[in-house]
Amino acid sequence: MLLMAELVIAAFILGGAFFLLVGSFGLAKLPDTMRRLHGPTKSTTLGIGCLLIASMIHFLAERGAPSVHELLITLFLFLTAPVSAHMIAKAHILLDRPARRALPDTGQGDGWATLAAPSRTAGETAGRTRQRAV
Amino acid sequence: MTLALIVLIPFLAAPLMPLAARAGRGVCALAAGLATSLSLVLLLADAPAAFAGADHRWSAAWLPQLGLSFSFAVDGLAFFFAFLILAIGVLIVAYARFYLGPADPVGKFYAYLSLFQGSMLGIVLSDNILLLLVFWELTSLSSFLLIGYWNHLPQSRQGARMALIVTGGGGFALIAGMLLLGEIAGSYQLGDILLQGDAIKASPLYLPALVLILLGAFTKSAQFPFHFWLPHAMAAPTPVSAYLHSATMVKAGIFLLARLWPVLAGTDAWFLVVSLTGLATMAMAAWIACFKDDLKALLAFSTVSHLGLVTMLLGIGTPMAAAAGVLHVLNHATFKAALFMSVGIVDHETGTRDLRRLGGLLWLMPVTGSLALIACAAMAGVPPLNGFLSKELMLEAAAGTTYLGLPWLFPLTAVAGAALSVAYTARLAFVAFVLGPRHELPNHPHDPPVGMWAPVAVLVAAAIAVGAWPGLAEGFVAAAARATTGGALTELHLALWHGFTPALAMSLTATVGGLALFWQYGPIEKARAALPRPEAKRMFDAAFDALVRTAERAIAATHTQVLHHHASVAVIAIAAAAGAWFLLAPHAPGDRAALPATVPAVAAWLVLAVVAAALVLRHRDRLQAVILTSVVGLIVSLTFLQFSAPDLALTQVSVEVVTTILMLLALNLLPKETPAETGAGWRGFDAAVAIAVGLGAGGLAYALMTREVATISAYHVAQSKPAGGGTNVVNVILVDFRGFDTFGEIIVLGIAALAIYALLDSALRGAAARRLAAMRPGEESRDAHPLLLVVATRVLLPLAITAGAYIFVRGHNMPGGGFIAGLVVAIALIMQYMASGYAWAAARARFDAHLMIGGGVLIAGLTGAGAWLFGRPFLTSTFGHLRLPLIGEVELASAAAFDLGVFLTVVGTVMLSLATISRVEERAEGPKPPPPHRAPRPRRRAEAEPARSLVPTEGG
Repeated sequence: MLLMAELVIAAFILGGAFFLLVGSFGLAKLPDTMRRLHGPTKSTTLGIGCLLIASMIHFLAERGAPSVHELLITLFLFLTAPVSAHMIAKAHILLDRPARRALPDTGQGDGWATLAAPSRTAGETAGRTRQRAV
Repeated sequence: MTLALIVLIPFLAAPLMPLAARAGRGVCALAAGLATSLSLVLLLADAPAAFAGADHRWSAAWLPQLGLSFSFAVDGLAFFFAFLILAIGVLIVAYARFYLGPADPVGKFYAYLSLFQGSMLGIVLSDNILLLLVFWELTSLSSFLLIGYWNHLPQSRQGARMALIVTGGGGFALIAGMLLLGEIAGSYQLGDILLQGDAIKASPLYLPALVLILLGAFTKSAQFPFHFWLPHAMAAPTPVSAYLHSATMVKAGIFLLARLWPVLAGTDAWFLVVSLTGLATMAMAAWIACFKDDLKALLAFSTVSHLGLVTMLLGIGTPMAAAAGVLHVLNHATFKAALFMSVGIVDHETGTRDLRRLGGLLWLMPVTGSLALIACAAMAGVPPLNGFLSKELMLEAAAGTTYLGLPWLFPLTAVAGAALSVAYTARLAFVAFVLGPRHELPNHPHDPPVGMWAPVAVLVAAAIAVGAWPGLAEGFVAAAARATTGGALTELHLALWHGFTPALAMSLTATVGGLALFWQYGPIEKARAALPRPEAKRMFDAAFDALVRTAERAIAATHTQVLHHHASVAVIAIAAAAGAWFLLAPHAPGDRAALPATVPAVAAWLVLAVVAAALVLRHRDRLQAVILTSVVGLIVSLTFLQFSAPDLALTQVSVEVVTTILMLLALNLLPKETPAETGAGWRGFDAAVAIAVGLGAGGLAYALMTREVATISAYHVAQSKPAGGGTNVVNVILVDFRGFDTFGEIIVLGIAALAIYALLDSALRGAAARRLAAMRPGEESRDAHPLLLVVATRVLLPLAITAGAYIFVRGHNMPGGGFIAGLVVAIALIMQYMASGYAWAAARARFDAHLMIGGGVLIAGLTGAGAWLFGRPFLTSTFGHLRLPLIGEVELASAAAFDLGVFLTVVGTVMLSLATISRVEERAEGPKPPPPHRAPRPRRRAEAEPARSLVPTEGG
């Protein structure tokens, strides 16, 4: 294999490993849930992305054909990681009372979605109550 | 072969009945009638052989080692009974079509009826007594279903249960008796046994065999003291009563006595037991029947009485008496079926069966009334009807019988029984039909449609014909009687007029006496009411309760209900056995070289050890326990990867995901912590057991892994490509080498999913649902279906399904396969349920999970059965290569179709079980706000999903 390719691959692996380490360290060390979320979502995703790029270059150099598995993995990862983080944040807002008080105002008519249903559905909710009574 | 078909057609027809019922009640009845007629035609084709006394049999081996063969034979007796079963069966099918109400599921009725018919035919046509036992038990089961047909009525359920317990218990005795009989004869073939009458009667085992067989026959035929179940079986719909208690069920015991007559009858024991039981049953049941006001109860006890009569005749032991018994079977079947059906019509039209309220029906429903009156006359033994013939023969046989030196016992009791029979028949005929109406009836009765009274008319016509021209039935009955007596009967001549004989005098006495009883009914009834009466049902219930209590006490004395005590007993027993083995065996170390301990391996091992220790400490926190356990699963899948088993790793990961989702869904409805169940002492003991077993299992693994052991893997690896056509050994093993295992496993999977569905279905209703609703968590998120999650899962769905399809297609040659693909697709679909809610996802599911499970098993089974077409064993697989334009060479393996079955079953199973749990969950959490991002499209299916009643259905 080309030395150049090996160097690039090694750089990506090392970079990836660095971001993974930072992410894990942040997860362990940061003081509260909201801040801890940054570790596994941002840093770790970046780290894994580096590793996937390294893998793509490796197989491109070795087989001479691009490998698409990694692209798919990236797609899955980029779809799922933010959603997981989003869900954890929502659960945190719901369960942690002090965190709830610290929430800033949304600046709109509606409050935070986790805590109050959008006003749009208020009428429907009343209608449903009537429906159930029947 | 046609012989076997006669029996098999009803069994084949049974599952088709619910399908036919979808096309309408008439179609279903027609299908049942056609199946019965087909069997009847096949039977009639065998008539010449049966009448000529030829040996017509058909046999196929089933379990030859046990002496069990699938063999059928028809002779005069078998033909006689089979004809009754099928001919009356056709009439019952027609009658039931009009009898059953709009709310009664006809498909179920005809399915049960067909099952029962097949079982009865099996009893009478079996040429192997073990096969006969199988059909005997099937009649008990199918009659249970028929009697309990109206399973919403408590008396139906209790009657069905009582019939099952009594006849099933007798069935046990019969099994033992038949096995003894087979031992004595040295063969289980009926043909062989019937030839060895003398050897059997001389055997020391004769008496126990006789007693056991009689127990079976007497319970089935409701002989005293087992008669009590029959009146309670009257809770069944009238067509069932008419069928079971005229031509079939209760006649099975009679058939058995007749069938084994050549080998069992003729001894003192037989005569003393059977004839006296019959005599006592006849007189006692006739006495009770006189005082019943419910028409069906009256007929029920009359049936018991007539069965006693036949039993007595068979018990007397002379060929002529046995012939009379056979004749009475025919006569009783015709007039009793007719009477049951008439009573059913009366019940149907007037709304009551109570003699105290009925009256003058002859003028209101002339056709039914006339038919019923003729049938009554036949039952009372009025000439020139068929009942008269058998009554004369019965009295003649009784007159010539001396029991234990008492020449008067039989004649006197027989006359008394006949008189009582006349009395209750007169009561039925005069009170219900002739004497004027006394009360307002619930409905205004009139004659029913032709379809309902036509079957009665046919039977009544038969009763008249046989009575007036006895020669018509002579050949039919004589053939049966000859077969019964094993040829001992030389000549049978039936006639109405025998001259002035003692029997005629007895008959006249009985008729006059019976009418006198009816005349003086009032005073006699008063006198009887003063007598103490044992209530059979109460005694049965008390005995049954006592048995249950005894069993409960025995269980309480020998069992503990603490699960972990059970588990520790089992674990300690296994550990002790293995430990003892270990101490006795040599302890040489293995000679296989160990693999080097790499850093990743050691790290994984450390993680496992830490997780296991943490699990022991934290196991009471359920959520943490689930997370820690899933870590174990992930490490295991990494281990599989390490040892080049990517297939297993993939499977492990997907199973892990599904299990975790399942656990989390269940945990939502469970307390967050498990209670402490054990004290410190027990815990120490448990720890000692766990450590000992862990060390033992570890040692065992070590011992195995340090040795070279010859396994079948080498063969599988070598043969995978040449024999199975795939390079993925794991997949080829699953779908080809061990395909039969896999087939069994997917069936188990499907059953498990259906069981989850059935068990959790009850959580959606009643008390369980209320308890679940009370478990709602304190505070819930107001947006149950967050936008981000909903969109992400919907975007992922096609991607995940593509991945699933890819994994499925490559499965035969690369890691993958139907099982993994099924799990992947199922997870993708389950995500929709979780993100968008049960109602949303269920409304869009195009394939029913039940259908997928059934379809998957069916596809896998059909693929396997396809091999039969090429004369190969089940599940033989084949593969070939196909050259397609553009795509190139494609491998086609029959195993892929099998894998498709696996795939569908897995998807269906996961979907059904997880969707059921999430549905329970949604119910428990009450109505949810609607998913905010509903695609504007109409509902695809208008299925009535119960969950939706709580979720509002806004227009899409």
